[in-house]
Amino acid sequence: MKQGGKFLALLLALCMILALTACGKTAQEQPAPSTNAPAGNDPAPAQPANSKYLRMAVNFAYPSLDAHKDYYGWYTSIYGVTETLFRVGNDLSISPLLAKSYSVQDEDKTWVIELADACFSNGTPVTADMVKRNLERLNEVNERFSFINDFTFETDGDKTLFIKTPEIFPTMLSDLLAAPEAAIMDLDATADFDNAPIATGPFVIKSFKPEGDVEVIRNDNYWNGAVKLDGATFFYMPDADSKLMAMQSDEIDCYTSVDAAAKEIFEADPATYHLTVIPATRLQFYVLNMTRLSDNVRAAINLTVDSDAIAAYLKGTTSAAVGPFGASAPYGQVTKSSPDPDAAKAKLEADGYTLNADGYYEKDGKVLELNICYYQSRQLPDLAVLMQEQLKNIGVKATLTVQEDPDATYVATGDYDIALYCMIADKAGDPYYCVKELFSKECKWAKAGFPTDEVEALINTLQYETDAAQRAALANQIVQKTIDENAFGYVGLFNKVSVAKPGVTGFSENCPFDFYGITADTDIA
Amino acid sequence: MAQYIGRRLIQLAGIMIAVSFLTFLLMYLSPGDAAEKKLGAQGISVSEEIIEKTRESMGLNRPFLVQYGDWALHALQGDLGESYKDNFPVAEKLAKGLRYTAILALTSLALAFFVALPLSILTALKKDSLIDDVTRLFSFAGNSLPNFLISVLLMYFLCVKAHLLPLVANESVKGLIMPCLALSIPICGRFIRQFRAEFLEQLAKPYVSGAMLRGVKRRYILKNVLHNASISIMTIVGLSIGTLFGGSVVIETVFRWPGLGKLAMDAITNRDYPVIQGFVLFTSTVYVGINLLIDICYAWVDPRLRGKGGGA
Repeated sequence: MKQGGKFLALLLALCMILALTACGKTAQEQPAPSTNAPAGNDPAPAQPANSKYLRMAVNFAYPSLDAHKDYYGWYTSIYGVTETLFRVGNDLSISPLLAKSYSVQDEDKTWVIELADACFSNGTPVTADMVKRNLERLNEVNERFSFINDFTFETDGDKTLFIKTPEIFPTMLSDLLAAPEAAIMDLDATADFDNAPIATGPFVIKSFKPEGDVEVIRNDNYWNGAVKLDGATFFYMPDADSKLMAMQSDEIDCYTSVDAAAKEIFEADPATYHLTVIPATRLQFYVLNMTRLSDNVRAAINLTVDSDAIAAYLKGTTSAAVGPFGASAPYGQVTKSSPDPDAAKAKLEADGYTLNADGYYEKDGKVLELNICYYQSRQLPDLAVLMQEQLKNIGVKATLTVQEDPDATYVATGDYDIALYCMIADKAGDPYYCVKELFSKECKWAKAGFPTDEVEALINTLQYETDAAQRAALANQIVQKTIDENAFGYVGLFNKVSVAKPGVTGFSENCPFDFYGITADTDIA
Repeated sequence: MAQYIGRRLIQLAGIMIAVSFLTFLLMYLSPGDAAEKKLGAQGISVSEEIIEKTRESMGLNRPFLVQYGDWALHALQGDLGESYKDNFPVAEKLAKGLRYTAILALTSLALAFFVALPLSILTALKKDSLIDDVTRLFSFAGNSLPNFLISVLLMYFLCVKAHLLPLVANESVKGLIMPCLALSIPICGRFIRQFRAEFLEQLAKPYVSGAMLRGVKRRYILKNVLHNASISIMTIVGLSIGTLFGGSVVIETVFRWPGLGKLAMDAITNRDYPVIQGFVLFTSTVYVGINLLIDICYAWVDPRLRGKGGGA
């Protein structure tokens, strides 16, 4: 062989060796079942003709199924594998699931949980001791639940659990017992928490590929009624175009987090695709720096930013917000002024600003220029540009500053006039988490100068208030204060946009939370 | 040659130390850290107290040099540590990603090479002909279209319209076709232009016109041209291997291919220093290693270079 050919031979040999040695499949990596797969699809294990298998695309994939760790419980809940003592409904109310009932005793410092007659997928009954050990394990393995350290757990028989708290803890249900991380697993029978947890959900894991696809099948021992599906496969598909085209090529049956472009395409063909749009819990908002901006300037900004126009521009991916919570929640009952550019200009002029020859407001020869800080996520770049444009229309100049990590930069330093941010406002059916994270004196936004003694006192009252109606009233009062003081601007709540083939129902398309997915009622025609 | 390889291996160690140190420094200086990213992954705000506690347990509060020294010491012993994000061993994550990246990179490279080589020879021999014009159009298009657009076009025509290939595929041979096509089209376009230029240069040399005047058969001339062009071609192909082994984030994301590119991007987003460091260590080794391999190949292909210490 001459030298020229040696190189070709070398390349060929390398390719062949690697292709042959590396392309093997393990049993775990077998393709998932899909009864409706087109002819060109991967070979799938044959399913009975009348079996009901759902194929769903998901945005995230995790390396473990240990529900207690990190945020993995969100996904075991989506897969229908794990359940919690309580569940948050579509209407944001919390009702018992693995629990049968609860009461609060000893000056509201002891929670008494009566358990339902539930059992794990292996048939073992769920006992109070097992629940206690699960909550203790959650405390050990998840930093976010370290507050459990302060609690004392006791049991009475197999079905009664006492949780004693050092002080009144009204958010026990939303912060702990309905949190997807507080899933109840069979700690004794589970040999491999990362790959095969034994839990109480309507489905059990059939195959799990870390950071890849997950396949579940019906839990034949499910304790809470009949399970309609035989199984489901969750395809990890982070790319929006891939999901859209997988839906079009009939390779998946449904998915959530439909983007604006795909939404338009699905909307145009309602006979083939059923689209569901509901306001969810992720909030787009801005903070006005009270240490830099006068009352009138802040009022002018809030009178200028048009949430409805922004929501319309974002083509249905967000719903205009009045406050941080959905309007259907009892703690989402607040009001704000409608956009009024003329009133905004009047506010600026009342503050001594005049329009200069360039059409911008200035005072003492200095143009009013606002620094809008944002980061590249959750459509905040679009929001920043739209706000800049709306402010320009009334004669206020705004410059945009983008940061990769908001918490380590502008949020930490307070170096902004307007700070854009996005977070989950309603974690699980209670306003306290959001109110504390946004408005308290210890919160990361305190540098903007809003927290007042009055608001702090209201937050403290909310922390220990046990009556749901009173809690809602307090939350409304606090949020209304932030609106009236022009300290914050609530722009939009991200919509949960789901698409499904006709006949596919009950995959939590009407639930505003991200951590619920298929249930016993999920069905496919 | 042995001396040369030894020298290059010492250089490799130096490069890896410098690259890993610089990467660690840049990550350390950039705002945000792994504790914040881990705890707030789903958009849930967490108190500063919990973040600080997590930071402490992850060792992120230690001075920079202590953190780097600790990592380097373990790396020297073959322990690349655990991912900050999920506590899984970095070496395992890299090995898994490497397997799939290697499959995708080498099959794409082979496809691009074996399409580009005959086409570039043909277009060099038939310069400015119709086939040259058509091939030029293809190579310019392949070169200029961004990866994501090629991927979307392929998905639309091959999966949605023609139903020829699965879009929701796994890591099987069938699942490899789409990402391989998407990755090889731009490489092929580049190869065609670069190989063609090299062949044209060789064809213009006096030894070719001399041989033609002497009536040497065309296939013998071509064989010599191919031989003389092979060193440049090797360099072009070698450099592409280095790039491809870094993984392709777009293609891996679009086609759900679990390679190194996506792993690295996720690690950067999550400030997952151990994974980033492992990835950098790996890619720098591949780059330097491939270059070393190419230099050795030079000497193998052209024995005259052996006397010069193996370098071209």
